[in-house]
Amino acid sequence: MTLRQLLNSVCVPLMCWLLLGCDMFEAHPYDALVRGETDINARSASRIALQTEDKDTIRFAFISDTQRWYDETKKAVADINQRQDIDFVIHGGDLSDFGATHEFVMQRDILLRLRQPWVALLGNHDCLGTGESVHQRIFGPLNFYFTAGQVLFVCLNTNCMEYDYSEPVPDFGFLDSVIANVPAGIRHTVVAMHVPPFDLEFNNNVARVFQAYLHQLPGLLCCIYGHGHRYAVDDLFGDGIQYLQTPCIEKRAYLLFTLTPDGYEHQLVSF
Amino acid sequence: MSTNWSVSSLWTCLCVLCFLAAPSAVRASGDTLSIRSRHELRVERYRYAWSRLIPHYSKVQYAGGMGLVSLGIGWDYGRNQQWETDMMLGIIPRYSSDEAKLAFTIKENFTPWSLPLGSSVRVYPFSGGIYFNTVFNNEFWTTEPDRYPSGYYGFSTRLRTHLFVGQRVRFMIPDRKRVFSNSITFYYELSTCDLYLISAVTNHLRPRDYLRLSFGLKLAVF
Repeated sequence: MTLRQLLNSVCVPLMCWLLLGCDMFEAHPYDALVRGETDINARSASRIALQTEDKDTIRFAFISDTQRWYDETKKAVADINQRQDIDFVIHGGDLSDFGATHEFVMQRDILLRLRQPWVALLGNHDCLGTGESVHQRIFGPLNFYFTAGQVLFVCLNTNCMEYDYSEPVPDFGFLDSVIANVPAGIRHTVVAMHVPPFDLEFNNNVARVFQAYLHQLPGLLCCIYGHGHRYAVDDLFGDGIQYLQTPCIEKRAYLLFTLTPDGYEHQLVSF
Repeated sequence: MSTNWSVSSLWTCLCVLCFLAAPSAVRASGDTLSIRSRHELRVERYRYAWSRLIPHYSKVQYAGGMGLVSLGIGWDYGRNQQWETDMMLGIIPRYSSDEAKLAFTIKENFTPWSLPLGSSVRVYPFSGGIYFNTVFNNEFWTTEPDRYPSGYYGFSTRLRTHLFVGQRVRFMIPDRKRVFSNSITFYYELSTCDLYLISAVTNHLRPRDYLRLSFGLKLAVF
């Protein structure tokens, strides 16, 4: 065997393997090194706004709590993809179970197979270790909003216990700026969050203040959340605003919302 | 409580030291020679005990969940030096997080077999073991902070347990070329950690989602 043959037969495949397998060289499970797509929410928001510009009826799927259920998440993506009537998908948070960097990357790569644009909120598990930084890197700001047709979607970080009062959660400053800058032509609002008011994780001292703030948003329709891993519909404050909880993905179900100029309907879809 | 304990233990140590020193102090005026030899014997034993703690080798490792680059020292022991215990300090770059971090690892290696390949090379077809890793950073906790109900998350973000298998090749350095090391070992390892293992057993994942690669050098001093 000549040196050239040796190079071709051993070294070249070895180098290829090392290069392909380079993400297998990891500094730490929490190293926060993100390869691939970042800033997904902002790009999805502009896609959603563009695609729903002239629509009266908006239909979206709401999934949540996909942590460490990769197989079920893949099945949810396949189920959503085979539908023709969905405009976009909202993920209610808890993409990771431990906050480890590769958990976010794996979930992102599964959800990127969605044909529809999608956004993801921050869940309490996503805050562990360096998880919050990784979530921010991949998805963008933790409080954000976007529009679909004439509906404003406000997505909030409500994982209050994770911050231990070190940062304003929920961020009323952010809500103030949304209320002051509602885009023209908005008739309704849907608020999405991971943790609902009155949950142990929420800052319940401000639960009613929070709700009073939400009522300042134009035509508040409903609030949607995850965290509790089961389907639930409650009028938490007795003011006619429903809080709808989508099951965790292990239950092989998600919520399908249809928004019309007159209101909204929802359906629990099993797959 | 802890202050009281440390003060009282300090007193105990002082008393013991005085007691040990007392007989030689008494005899010091008499026979100087026997005191010196006894003292020398003690010092010799003392030096020997501590000399056993001198690290036998140093290691440098790339990746493997203990830092991007880790430096460490260690000891090999056993009939064929098949056991090794390493203590390593690794650096985790900042990447997308708030700051760079230091990680400390205790690693136990088992390398039971070796084959000679010529006079100066030895191949170790299998090595395996376990390592425990901790991160020096206050974003991580060993047990959940008080604000959580106990068992809320039920795991530690700070402490990681890794399992690994790997292979090694060792090059003996000829006497006249030795500077500090008598041999250099190159190794690579395939590892997984507790978090990845639990994800792998409950899902259908690709190996590259739960296995990690690393390689390193062992520089043996003696």
